[in-house]
Amino acid sequence: MPILELENLSKTYGGTTALKGLTLQVEPGSVYGLLGPNGSGKTTTLGIALGVLRASSGTVRWFGQEPTAANRRRIGALLETPNFFPYLSARQNLLLAADVKQADTRSVDQALDAVGLGTRQHDAFRGFSLGMKQRLALASTLLGSPEVLVLDEPTNGLDPQGIAEVRSLVQRLAAEGKTIILASHLLDEIEKVCTHVAVLQRGELRAAGPVSNILATADRVLLRPAPDTPAALVQQALAALPWVSDVRPETGGILSAAVAASHGPADVNRALFEQGIVLAGLEIRHRSLEAQFLELTR
Amino acid sequence: MLFRAELRKILPYRTVWIILLAYAVLLLLFVSAGGSLTVNGQKLGESLYVFPALWSKLAYVASYFTMLLGVLFIILITDEFQFRTFRQQVIDGASVGELVQGKLAVSGLLAGFAALVVVGIGFYFGLTRAAGTADQAAAGLPTVLLYGVQVLGLLSLAALVAVLVRRSGAAILVFLLYLWVAEPLLRLSLPDELDRYLPAKIFNSLTPMPGQELMDTVAGPSLALLPTQALPLALAYTALFWGLSYLVLRSRDL
Repeated sequence: MPILELENLSKTYGGTTALKGLTLQVEPGSVYGLLGPNGSGKTTTLGIALGVLRASSGTVRWFGQEPTAANRRRIGALLETPNFFPYLSARQNLLLAADVKQADTRSVDQALDAVGLGTRQHDAFRGFSLGMKQRLALASTLLGSPEVLVLDEPTNGLDPQGIAEVRSLVQRLAAEGKTIILASHLLDEIEKVCTHVAVLQRGELRAAGPVSNILATADRVLLRPAPDTPAALVQQALAALPWVSDVRPETGGILSAAVAASHGPADVNRALFEQGIVLAGLEIRHRSLEAQFLELTR
Repeated sequence: MLFRAELRKILPYRTVWIILLAYAVLLLLFVSAGGSLTVNGQKLGESLYVFPALWSKLAYVASYFTMLLGVLFIILITDEFQFRTFRQQVIDGASVGELVQGKLAVSGLLAGFAALVVVGIGFYFGLTRAAGTADQAAAGLPTVLLYGVQVLGLLSLAALVAVLVRRSGAAILVFLLYLWVAEPLLRLSLPDELDRYLPAKIFNSLTPMPGQELMDTVAGPSLALLPTQALPLALAYTALFWGLSYLVLRSRDL
């Protein structure tokens, strides 16, 4: 049973469409990245899923059920900005959040320690730096050890050490079997920690699936013809193969091509050799998620 | 749990204590100064503090200070929008109904506080300045309960305005303008049989001006409802305003 199912979700603000017919599923135990440029609909999607924005149409199901306050208590979520009472201390804010979540107030100490705010717990929230506010919001998501974490831009305002700590925290929680939904425009962050990814652009889903699949479709084969083989001949032969597309000349006489997922570089080598074409070199160029993202959102 | 969460928000909040203290002190000073007022060349003196009439006088005077509690309540609710904590509480697993219940409980606390202050001030002045009537002290106490209902009613109106407007300054302005300008103007344009059913008028009818009966014999009978007639309507308005607040919160994005 999926942890979260979004079915044909749409949201309009006045005349602006923020989300158009979004459908996706998050499976248990996955680290699901929601990727997209600013304004792509990531926060709107999570806001609807978490019950603070009303969808114009479509449905949300958590744990296979209609969304309710009770099933939201099984989720720890940080949406957009850390939201706390400025005149309360970090500890008082977390005690309040624990009451709302119906979590054991003893989990407050663990949460504060997990984000390194134990020594500042009695300071008022209003005096915190952006990074400390973000850490407190992360601490709040951990209260009551929820099954699912929803983190919207969790590394906002954090220094490089803080970013690394959040990454290892996400990996540790994922290793404990928790499902994590992570929205970010930082591709490196997503590529390092996520098992699945959905790419949004202007409120529309451009691609979704396991990170390896998304990246595999972006892999290209690089071919270096033997010195006595004209590149044009190789290009012609490749163009004749139905499972090869987008053949492009690269620098230094090299050619690159996209190969369908059903075939691999060995198939390319064999097909060319059967036509009497010998290659001096053949390799796969793995594209980064960044390159694939730019391709998808071009 | 949610009531405890409300207490966690308000107990450390200095603004709350300042306004509550201002309410109690201003009422105390006003009641204390009342005894030295001169009417028709005669000092009111100790006659002002005689039980049981003291309670209706106190409830009437206190109703003028209820605005302070309304302003405080608007601040408490609009803070939740400004700090985006209503939004966070829903994310954390509260329902919109529970958010409203939490604020309803706070309005009950404030009404209880106001009634207790009135009772405390009443007993202090009554027992120290008109001790001879102490045996009748309990007779007028239901008047204080009516004042408590009045506070609850005005706070429900304040809550609705706060939920609709969402910004503290603007919400306070709308609240006071409605009570002091809009509804009085509306009453002028409505026939007397109708204007007595407007919400602020109903709430005011719970604590009528002392000596209203005397005024009626001079100026003709007033069409204002008696406190006992106004009570069910005041409770109905209170329920209506809270219901509307719930519907507004539920239908809008947080």
